Amino acid sequence: MSETPTRRQFIDRTIRVIGLTALGGTAALLARRTSAHAVFQVDPLKCTACDLCRTSCVLSLSAVKAVNDFSKCGYCRLCPAYMDVTSAPDEVGTPSGKVCPQDALKRRVVGREDPDDPNNNYYEYAVDEARCNGCGKCVKACKPPMGNGSLRLEIRYDRCVECNECGILIACPSTAIVRVLTPGLSPVSVQGEHSNA
Amino acid sequence: MERYTRTKVVVGPGMPGEFRRSLSGLAVGPRDAVHALGDDEVRVFEAGGRLARTWKAPEKATCLGVASDGRAAVGSPGRVDLYNDAGVRISGFAAGTRDKPAEVTAVRLVRDEVLVADAAARIIRRYGLRGNELGVIGAANKTGGFMLPNRSLDFDVDAFAVVYATDTGRHQVTSWTLDGTMVAAFGRFGMARPEDFVGCCNPVNVAVAPDGSIVTAEKVAARVKVFGKDRSLLAVIGPEHFDPMCLYIHVAVDSTGRIVTADPERRTIAVFGRS
Repeated sequence: MSETPTRRQFIDRTIRVIGLTALGGTAALLARRTSAHAVFQVDPLKCTACDLCRTSCVLSLSAVKAVNDFSKCGYCRLCPAYMDVTSAPDEVGTPSGKVCPQDALKRRVVGREDPDDPNNNYYEYAVDEARCNGCGKCVKACKPPMGNGSLRLEIRYDRCVECNECGILIACPSTAIVRVLTPGLSPVSVQGEHSNA
Repeated sequence: MERYTRTKVVVGPGMPGEFRRSLSGLAVGPRDAVHALGDDEVRVFEAGGRLARTWKAPEKATCLGVASDGRAAVGSPGRVDLYNDAGVRISGFAAGTRDKPAEVTAVRLVRDEVLVADAAARIIRRYGLRGNELGVIGAANKTGGFMLPNRSLDFDVDAFAVVYATDTGRHQVTSWTLDGTMVAAFGRFGMARPEDFVGCCNPVNVAVAPDGSIVTAEKVAARVKVFGKDRSLLAVIGPEHFDPMCLYIHVAVDSTGRIVTADPERRTIAVFGRS
């Protein structure tokens, strides 16, 4: 036969349960914060694409890469970040020169292609990260009012060695390198999303 | 080449009726009164420049059109509202489809119709005054709509109800009858010749003059051009008059052929006349 707890016993047990719950919650929170990871990232609103990300990273090929936010991209035929619009035009009036010195910005027609009139085509632009050196020439050319501002520079975590002596942070003249907290090591963006992650 | 000079600043910072936060629409109404949309209001300036009246516009309103009798249409995301010449709201309707509300970037009143530029659908939608759908303009081409990398569509309508629209991705101004038949197109990409349109997507704004000439506005090299009836370049109003970061220079033409421009970056409306 079970003994009915006294009022004092009931209050004691209740306090114990509340205390244990609070302790468990705090431990869980602490564990979560410990697993979170503070990383460097480029703030696109401050970044001027000055080319120092290319030269200041400890890696020979910078961990900073251009990425394209497809939700902002205009899918232009005459993309000012892809082609040097001041270069000599070819036979159909398209500028012949490219902006990227590494030829890292690639494009392909999306949707139905009109081979007769390229004006009727939309183009998707993606960065070949193995080639991109983070110089930011495409990012600069895509900035408004010339472009839609869909290209931006990002530190790629699969390349960053987290040397903790980030030369880019020190060199950046516009304090565009910021610390962001991310759970684990998944790539994070300071602003928006992109799809060539 | 003809030469245009700035003859007047209708409104700008520090002037009566100044726009403090935004300037997003421009139209010329009866007696050449300049109607401007900004700061969630429509402000009407007499031809002499005096602020005549003001009325409240919907929040987030994007564009403005004024008929020759003074009726006004104000476009907002997914919506158009109509006002009488005193600024009293007389009706309104939803634009676009239920799944995809119109991204209204330009609106005009033509006879008993309201034409609405829907940049999301890349077409111009025709509506009756009660919002009944009458048809679309711009879909009868290979791409089923205008090419708009900059996600904005502007148009104007001449005295014969021919619609002139900015096909920015093609670097052209295309003209259409109300039934959606394409009439003509002019313009091409180029960075060297002054008559060509620069960058990824231009011209961004357009207006038709009473004599049939076409006025275009461009970004990057923020400038305004006048093309004659044969679509040859007549004049260029240069970038020295506009903010270099200006994405859209709103343009309109009054009854005497003077060009009215609205620079949203500088929140300034100016008038240019032939000199």
